[in-house]
Amino acid sequence: MAERFDPWPEGIQPNMPIAGYPNTFSHTPSAPLIQRPATRTERTAPARLSQKLLCGDDNLAVIAPGRMAQGQLIHISGRVLDEDGRGVPHAVVELWQANAGGRYRHPIDTRDAPLDPDFIGNGRVLTDAAGRYGFFTIRPGAYPVPVPQTWWRPPHVHFSVLGPASLSRLVTQMYFPGDPLNDLDRILQSVPDAAARARLVAAMVPPVEVGLGWLAYRFDIGLRGRAATPELP
Amino acid sequence: MLPSSEHTIGPFFPQSFFREGDNDLRRITAEAAPSIRGETITIHGVVLKADGVACVNMVLEAWQADAAGRFNHEADPEAHLADPDFLGWGRAWTDAEGRYAFTTLLPGGYAEGNHTRAPHINLSIMGAGLMRIARTTLFFPQGNNTADPVFALVPAPLQGRLVAQPDGPGRYRFDIILHGGAETPFFQD
Repeated sequence: MAERFDPWPEGIQPNMPIAGYPNTFSHTPSAPLIQRPATRTERTAPARLSQKLLCGDDNLAVIAPGRMAQGQLIHISGRVLDEDGRGVPHAVVELWQANAGGRYRHPIDTRDAPLDPDFIGNGRVLTDAAGRYGFFTIRPGAYPVPVPQTWWRPPHVHFSVLGPASLSRLVTQMYFPGDPLNDLDRILQSVPDAAARARLVAAMVPPVEVGLGWLAYRFDIGLRGRAATPELP
Repeated sequence: MLPSSEHTIGPFFPQSFFREGDNDLRRITAEAAPSIRGETITIHGVVLKADGVACVNMVLEAWQADAAGRFNHEADPEAHLADPDFLGWGRAWTDAEGRYAFTTLLPGGYAEGNHTRAPHINLSIMGAGLMRIARTTLFFPQGNNTADPVFALVPAPLQGRLVAQPDGPGRYRFDIILHGGAETPFFQD
């Protein structure tokens, strides 16, 4: 069955640039994007990319035996879905996030918040035959955006998905349900369509289904189509 | 001080995602010998934002056909003839001066429908300040670019911005200007 690549529906992609986020003014192309036909280069992507990008690092919460990260233990799982809602097998899913104090282990993050020696904050897995992925990690902290009208990034987790077509390459963010900062997040609120925004917020799995070890969240990622997950940096 | 640099906000695409050789499209694994079925070339340049300021820590991904214009992918009817030792994909990131580099093989063109794709490399740029992936296509000065169906969509005065410049034997320079000035044309798929 041939893959379909419909145009992006209205309201899914973020409005740019974003007031209060100065970098979006200096980085966003000013000319309109040129609609490109889906030729073979766009419809393809590397086969067996997992040989190049090593997968299987699905536990961010345990850095080594007996060394556990600070923070609330959580599990995030879901499916990567294509334009028709079918699971995408063997997609590379990358995740990265701040630590429980809201700081990234990255030389560019010089904020005065604690680094956790037992938390690095990134992982990479391959989806299974049904398109499922999962990570053990900790709930990230919020962090402030240092602009005159300060706003805070809510706890969020970055996802990068490399699937079977380079035109459906996706980088996005997952939010946590019920966080009061979500409604104030200029990045989340840049997505015009409310239903599309809701697709960026994970669902909590009822604890009775999970047990004692961790809180669990479900986050499905749509690569294209009407139910696509919006792109977010 | 009004913060304007990258350290105001994520994403902090982790440096530990990168490994030696990720920016070498000729290798199917980090350890594999590079494919030699084609002409090895280096693509390099800078990523700049408004006012010509270098973009630090931007992530670039490259995707292209092999030297004969084939993809090792089910969407290519000649996938079985594709170079098995060539990945065609690579990831690079910019340094403090905004510089990036890829090593690859000169891609081949291919026929598709009534058109012929000239040799090209699709580049995706990601990083702080870019709300969506910036997607562009690099063409080569020796290619029959004017017949290419993607190149033809670009307004004629801007087409030259998509053509990499020869920069010594086997080297091409391709600067990416995200905003303002000689802004690079970007595409939506």
